[in-house]
Amino acid sequence: MDVDRFQYLILMGLCLLITLPLEFLFGARVWRRPRRLVAAMAVPVAIFVAWDLIAIAREHWDFNPQYVTGWELPLNLPVEELSFFLVIPICSLLTLEAVRRVLDRD
Amino acid sequence: MEYTWAGIVAVVLVIAVELLWFKTGLLRRLTFYVSWAIILFFMVLVDGWLTKLTAPIVLYNEEENTGIRFPWDIPVEDYLFGFALITLTMLLWERWAQRHPDDAASRRTTGPLIRRR
Repeated sequence: MDVDRFQYLILMGLCLLITLPLEFLFGARVWRRPRRLVAAMAVPVAIFVAWDLIAIAREHWDFNPQYVTGWELPLNLPVEELSFFLVIPICSLLTLEAVRRVLDRD
Repeated sequence: MEYTWAGIVAVVLVIAVELLWFKTGLLRRLTFYVSWAIILFFMVLVDGWLTKLTAPIVLYNEEENTGIRFPWDIPVEDYLFGFALITLTMLLWERWAQRHPDDAASRRTTGPLIRRR
């Protein structure tokens, strides 16, 4: 099996892994508030998936077949791109909440 | 330069939504800017890996952006895209808490009860 094809997915996995301590050591409480998390992410995910699909269709960007799985969701959305739109906002919210806790302010 | 313009429009829209509609106040808080300083650092690492021209994962059509890449090979438009995605999510996260104060309060149960301004 060619591990290079999983580079993008592995990178996203590492992002989740490296931010996990923010939840459990810094008390970020993002993963543990799933309703608020879904409420925050649903609209941005929809908007940015749409942006991504349009950008791919209009040839703003493309993906190197060497480093992606080739697995596609409906509308030919690469599975890596959906993972990006899920992972990056979660990591960012974890950062926001961890900083809030450290600074002890809202 | 469609990607460039889309990025600029997205950033303006997100800021306008906050100032004219959501009014969470997040953009006036130190927490937001400290968080962004940290996020920016990791964004450069992750996006730098995705865009590096020696072994790119994402391939950009240079006709649709400025061609300016910094640092390494990161198209500057990616920062507009990232800002819009992340800030919009943060604003909705704040907005939900402000509309559900009971739930937001539970955040504090394991931390100090004294709030500093």
